[in-house]
Amino acid sequence: MLRPLVHFFVIGGLLFSAKAVYEARRIEGPDITVRVSTDANRAELESTIRDAILLNEAVRYGWDKRDPVVYTHLIRNMRFIEPDSTGDDLTLYKRALEMNMQAHDPIVRARLLYRAREALSYVPEDRMPSAEDLEAHREANAERFQREGRVRFQHVFLSRSKRGDSLPADASAIRQQLSTLGDESPKGLGDPLPGLRSEQSATPSKLEDDYGAEVARVVGEAVVGVWRGPASSVYGLHFIRVTSKEPAYLPALDVIVAEVRADWLREVRDELRKERMGALRDAYTVHIERVP
Amino acid sequence: MPRSLFPVLLVLSLVVVATVAAGCGKDTAPFVDELGRCADFDELRRVYWGDTHIHTNLSFDANMQGTRTTPKDAYDFARGETIPLQPYTETGAPTRDATIDRPLDFVMLSDHAEFLGTLKVCNDPGSAGYGEPECVAYRAAMEFDADPSSVQIVFVSINGHLAFPPDESRYPTLCGPNDAFCLEAGMDVWREVVNEAQKAYDRSDACEFTTFPGYEWSGNPAGKNLHRNVMFKNENVTDLPYGYFDEPYVEGLWARLREECIDADNGCDTLTIPHNSNLSEGIYFENKMANGEPFSAEYVETRAAMEPVIEIYQHKGNSECYPGEITEDELCGFEVIPFSNLGTTNGSQITQPDPRGFLRHAYGEGMKLEASFGTNPFQYGITAATDTHISAPGFVAEDDFKGHGGAGQPNRFLPPPQGFPDIEYLSGGGLTAVWAEENAREAIFSAIRRKETFGTSGPRIVVRMFGGWDYPSNLCDAEDLVAQADDGGVPMGGTLAPQPGSSAPKFVVSAKQDAASVPLQRIQIVKGWLDGDDYQVQVYDDVAGDKNNGASVNLNTCEPQGEGFGDLCRVWEDPNFDPAQRAYYYARVIENPTCRWTTYQCVAEAYDCENPSREIDLDCCDPAAGLNVARCTDIEPLCDDPDSLPPVDARCCVPRVEPTIQERAWTSPIWYQPPT
Repeated sequence: MLRPLVHFFVIGGLLFSAKAVYEARRIEGPDITVRVSTDANRAELESTIRDAILLNEAVRYGWDKRDPVVYTHLIRNMRFIEPDSTGDDLTLYKRALEMNMQAHDPIVRARLLYRAREALSYVPEDRMPSAEDLEAHREANAERFQREGRVRFQHVFLSRSKRGDSLPADASAIRQQLSTLGDESPKGLGDPLPGLRSEQSATPSKLEDDYGAEVARVVGEAVVGVWRGPASSVYGLHFIRVTSKEPAYLPALDVIVAEVRADWLREVRDELRKERMGALRDAYTVHIERVP
Repeated sequence: MPRSLFPVLLVLSLVVVATVAAGCGKDTAPFVDELGRCADFDELRRVYWGDTHIHTNLSFDANMQGTRTTPKDAYDFARGETIPLQPYTETGAPTRDATIDRPLDFVMLSDHAEFLGTLKVCNDPGSAGYGEPECVAYRAAMEFDADPSSVQIVFVSINGHLAFPPDESRYPTLCGPNDAFCLEAGMDVWREVVNEAQKAYDRSDACEFTTFPGYEWSGNPAGKNLHRNVMFKNENVTDLPYGYFDEPYVEGLWARLREECIDADNGCDTLTIPHNSNLSEGIYFENKMANGEPFSAEYVETRAAMEPVIEIYQHKGNSECYPGEITEDELCGFEVIPFSNLGTTNGSQITQPDPRGFLRHAYGEGMKLEASFGTNPFQYGITAATDTHISAPGFVAEDDFKGHGGAGQPNRFLPPPQGFPDIEYLSGGGLTAVWAEENAREAIFSAIRRKETFGTSGPRIVVRMFGGWDYPSNLCDAEDLVAQADDGGVPMGGTLAPQPGSSAPKFVVSAKQDAASVPLQRIQIVKGWLDGDDYQVQVYDDVAGDKNNGASVNLNTCEPQGEGFGDLCRVWEDPNFDPAQRAYYYARVIENPTCRWTTYQCVAEAYDCENPSREIDLDCCDPAAGLNVARCTDIEPLCDDPDSLPPVDARCCVPRVEPTIQERAWTSPIWYQPPT
């Protein structure tokens, strides 16, 4: 009855479309009872139910009897409890199954849950993204991949440490000089500061990190081609002339393909996990037994 | 020699090649990471900030301390996103989080190589070693309600393999026959580490974020730290991350890296970054090779080539200099932790560090070796890092300190830490800055290789230093200072050749404060030289700025007081230069005083020493930790008779941790080599 669902689950959706999942919800599924502590909260209850469903699916598919790790582990257990046994691996394994050891062993349980969870988020080959898919994903989620705009500007700096009390007067004199510069470079004017250039480009956030909020604001608000300032920073006074502004942009797919692919796969895995778990959850009838 | 690797390598390398080919071929257009691809390319070079020492949940120690954040989380954190921090509740909700104040430009994750595979084996039920008793014990120790003492036992039983003597170093038993389980799993994890670095690397011309694949080689025989971080320039890496169990001597590590990377002609390049020489009990710079013999010429060449820079500072203390050694230097006491090795650090056993484990000693020894071999094996440039074990690169803020784990407080167990979140001697760590043409792998790796780097104790103090013979005395007034200095000399990390006819070298040092921190106080130049075999050091104080500027801190509020300097610059000439003597010069840029993290936390809490009711009260009333500073001042006259005081007050009489610090930047030295 639930065979299609199990197949879907085991091979990660290779054979099943969303339609099949939908249809599966109308199929009467297994009936299980889940025991939870009386003081378990809602999240703990849901987590316990999900684990129980996944374990049940794993057992229904027979992983507890066919999984290589379970096989090795059960043999190890048998050799531990029967150290004098001369039986070969297969014999010991069969005896372990006869004892139903796999049903109670915590390592077997963890292994089965692991395989089940992996299967839930498995992305089948036909769902792997093509270049077109990635391009569409890049465009649809542009805000995730967008790069900050940049400002190109000329910069004249007057150091407070160096000029001390003469800073205001020096600033007035510089302002006067700059007003006559026109499009000429201000090279040679002002003081050096590590990392500062008379002409450079930067993003607004980098400017704020380097010189503080006021300089970043003045640059951000500046009209192209006009000297602005002085803006004050912890270092002194800054005159700025923006020469061009480049808006934020979305890089081409070929340069950010690894980023886009990783983001796409994250989304699809989440989607598949929720979809498949939801289908299983709907198909199952779960009875809750509260235990102290 | 690595042991038992070949059978596994043979099979797995085919798998790796096949997987990489399958994963990369489909949609990826050729990408060439050439110099000049970034919009902010600057041939005079810009400063970029990074952290090259970061542990995530892939490191065994971090993992057992409850760190659940992944390499991706670490990259997200460095780019400004908030990440969760332990302790976690039983339902898996974090009780703390962390956010960096400003994003970093570049990052290298450095999870411990030795247990990358071990953790996967123990956590992956698909692994053949999953049911091994050590794994079972590990998983029991990771249960929410595990007893802390049993956690410690499991931690020591596995992590303790790093302290075995080199000839006895071996993988844990759980790794199976010929260590195959862990080698195979380790290779998988390493591939994921490289893949994550690839995903996070910004290949657009915005060049916002650069990543480097890396890991930590973590040998510490008998607790004596010899760790190195291994940094790869790009995704062309060795198949295995070679750890202490594969190569128990660093010579073996270098040989592997040379053979399989540098000399392999496959686009691979790599270097190693030593760190925490302060915790080596003085053996880090010992003139002894793996075979017990003194250095050979080949060893000296190899070490100089493989280790261009060293980590001078991180959350487990300062490795620059030990107070009172070689010369008086009042600033050597900065964040020197009172532990001699990693074992005593882990156990918080106060033990005196060996001064021979500090860089100042190494610089002198290196010049002596250079006199013999013609190459200085310790001609290190400078970096600094956090060594965070909570996936939080660059998380250095004193006023937002959450503890970095490592050898500190694990903070794994609930209730959330009410006292200090780390051992009080440990700190937030530092940052590496590089002068590079752009924020991309080629430019940054090259900057580290040529040592045009500096380290800071956390703040983004920017410093640039050049050495030359003919700099004009007014160079600091020149708007094109950098172009002139570059043309007429060498940048930090470089070597000055003799110039006949010149009297003494000149150095131009230019620095600016962190825009988000306090002003600078002064620039110092530290000179070391060899007079025959006699190694001497002199600290030239107040090269620029003012040591006595009166700046201080209000210890009741942590508010900084007094004036300082937004920027400082000076052309300085060595007044005692002897052209026949080998010498080095580095700059130390000092901030005005600020509160240490311990003091910030005490000030932020309304503690009451008379009626301590919480852990934080006890911490803050204990001067060994953070100090009730005002109270200590009040009772100072009574300290002559501590027995007459209540215990809390008596502790105030013997403070061990300073309430304030002076954060700083250290440049890579410029070296002078006399004529041969």
